[in-house]
Amino acid sequence: MKFEHCIRCTICVENCPVFRVNPDFPGPKQAGPDAQRFRSEKDKTVDHWVMLCSQCKRCDMACPSGVEPAEIILRAQQRYGIEHPRTAAHLLFANNYYLSQLGSLTAPLANRFAAAGIGKKILQRMGITTYIPFPEFSFRTMKKKPKPAGKGRKKVAFFYGCFINFYRPDIGAGIIRLLESLNIDVVLPPQWCCGLPALGNGNLALARYFAGKNVDSLSDYVDAGYDIIYSCTSCGLCLLNDYQGIMDIPRAKKIAENTYDLHEYILRLIIEKNIRPEFRDVSRSVAYHIPCHLRAMKIGYPAADLMKMIPGLECHILDDACCGLSGSYGFKKTNETTAVQLGKRAVSLIRKTGASSIVSDCGSCRMQLGGLSGMDAFDPAEIICESLAIDVKRKNTKNREGRKIARPLPSV
Amino acid sequence: MSLVEYDVIIIGAGVAGLTAGTLLAERGKKVALVTAGEPTVCLSTGCIDLCSGADNPEEAIDALPAQHPFHLVTRQQIHQAVDDFKRKMAGAGLAYVGQTSRNRLVLSAIGTFKTTCLIPESMQASPQSEEGKIHVVTFACLKDFYPGYIISRLKNASFSTYDAGISTTMGIASLFEDENFLESFLLWVEKQNIREDKIAFPAVLGLESSAAIREKIEYRMERPVFEIPTIPPSMPGRRLFNCLKDSFHRAGGVIYWDWQATGAEKSGRLIEAVITESHGRPNSLNAQAFILATGSFVGGGLRADHSKIIENIFDLPVYTPGKREEWFEQDYFSLNHPIGRAGIVVDGSFRAVESRWDNLYVCGNILAHIEVLKNGCGHGFALATARAAAESLLEAGR
Repeated sequence: MKFEHCIRCTICVENCPVFRVNPDFPGPKQAGPDAQRFRSEKDKTVDHWVMLCSQCKRCDMACPSGVEPAEIILRAQQRYGIEHPRTAAHLLFANNYYLSQLGSLTAPLANRFAAAGIGKKILQRMGITTYIPFPEFSFRTMKKKPKPAGKGRKKVAFFYGCFINFYRPDIGAGIIRLLESLNIDVVLPPQWCCGLPALGNGNLALARYFAGKNVDSLSDYVDAGYDIIYSCTSCGLCLLNDYQGIMDIPRAKKIAENTYDLHEYILRLIIEKNIRPEFRDVSRSVAYHIPCHLRAMKIGYPAADLMKMIPGLECHILDDACCGLSGSYGFKKTNETTAVQLGKRAVSLIRKTGASSIVSDCGSCRMQLGGLSGMDAFDPAEIICESLAIDVKRKNTKNREGRKIARPLPSV
Repeated sequence: MSLVEYDVIIIGAGVAGLTAGTLLAERGKKVALVTAGEPTVCLSTGCIDLCSGADNPEEAIDALPAQHPFHLVTRQQIHQAVDDFKRKMAGAGLAYVGQTSRNRLVLSAIGTFKTTCLIPESMQASPQSEEGKIHVVTFACLKDFYPGYIISRLKNASFSTYDAGISTTMGIASLFEDENFLESFLLWVEKQNIREDKIAFPAVLGLESSAAIREKIEYRMERPVFEIPTIPPSMPGRRLFNCLKDSFHRAGGVIYWDWQATGAEKSGRLIEAVITESHGRPNSLNAQAFILATGSFVGGGLRADHSKIIENIFDLPVYTPGKREEWFEQDYFSLNHPIGRAGIVVDGSFRAVESRWDNLYVCGNILAHIEVLKNGCGHGFALATARAAAESLLEAGR
């Protein structure tokens, strides 16, 4: 932590989406480096407002002095989480992985519960907001596939993440077919939640538990010559940064050195002339909402580079606005107003482009922006599959993600 | 070897970097820009100082010392740079006013006047003397703005205070974006019985829709409204940065955020790639040519140790004003600290002299002998040298 490097220029504050709309949050400068000077190992933490930070990392990106306020706040959140009783919502979301396993097993029931009036009331009682519909659990999750099928020119292990696994395995299947069509062998290694939800809800121990298991599993694949691929940018950021950083997991560096964003990987193969996919016309105008965590990855916007190769596709890149949901952050009652205000702003920027649909790498960005706008929201991989004529049996999400919001939005 | 090869990589996201990048992208180059964080332009007043030594900035430039790098830019390039800037900003909804042949004054937050050349339209009505009859509207508990300073210096000024319920510049600026807030504010301000000719605000009148917000207040109050730049967070500086960034994006440029260049891959007389630190694989970006626009000490382009001044990325030779004990004047507020002359010396092609890199161009505040504070040549100098460096790069590529 480099809080002493802060020159108090307030550039981080100007970039903080939460500070912009929630006066209860003192902003990354005060919550980060300023407060850090007063945090003592001996005293119990009192800075409850650190939990209002959504960990979008925009302050880390913007800081010209390399301070990383979000990282300082993240550590303060972990300490706050240990020293104070956690709310039901925090406990639930930290354990989202187990909850989702249960949800998927009982998908027809769980979905009906989440959509029904009584279910919503119970969720609200627990401090969980229902302004956008809860994502629908998928009964069929990703099947484990630890051994390769064929003899492709490359071997990859796909870290698909919880969103694809529990809610949208159809996108996962599409990505596998996409990679296979490029003559790449895909395996689905044993894997668990990346740990980010636990970290975001102040449970470092649980996050480390998940991370340790993932590293054990993935490490074997790296040793066997596999590259690791992720498609969820938040899982990716967690694998690459947090495992080595705050979680301090042994062998995390080896994982980071061999882990790629899906589109970064495909782009690399194209540039190295290993593959030459024939992109077909996709005549459409899309707004590409860059997830905050992709921005934080320092690899540019590889999916945008790929989409530029698709004839007929008009792609508007939007990287200034956070969608406001930030994983489980916006699902908490205390953050609802913040999340809705930020989401509406992001949607208004999307509408200005005149695009017909939204594209974003992050499942929770798509959930928020699709839910608030009623527009279709796609994973970039879905667009690329379409262009390469790879058949994806898209889960019918129209009636949920795109339906009219039943309850009026909180006025902002 | 990196993933993607660009025609040009710009290092630094300030006025110089974004301007050079936009120009090159518009001329068909594949351009990427890398930056350690957001630039010092966000902290600035948003005003474009060209040269403040005389009433006419062009004459002031002519009168600068012979080694001042402003002499490497032609008059025509300055005009083109300024016209281009004004056109782009107007297109982005952030109109600037002023001409290269005339300086003007802007009222500061402590009641003094700052000399500058181009100003955002939101400061156009700023009084040009202490006689100006103005009414300052400020906000309860706003920590960064004290109208008392202005009232004590301007004879015909008064003020009133509105309670917005929030006490930060950023918070109030984003409230103004909300129509309901603006309406209730207008109802309040109409009741204030303001008699002065003009109404002044600290620069908090919105972020994205600042022009529309100001026009609405002017329409309802039937008199000119202007903003007074504040200490950071500075909304006029932020608006300027956002618009420069948008025009770079629109021209097709790509920005790599939090990408602090820490070194370079070199071969013969060429820079091949810039490198950054990474948690995983080595992270580098290749290009045919590079523009260094990292600014001076505050911007992060230069750093000093006990005996010398160092350029952070390519270790270019740096002009150093004597020994360390000679870098500073005794008077802290003096504008003559020799350290203001430190920087990179370039030739007419904007390449560093005594350096062996054929494809590295340097522009903006990192150049030697500028003395920004003394000569009042901030963003205007950045605009002009960015254009000149980009044109030199294009010329070499022909």
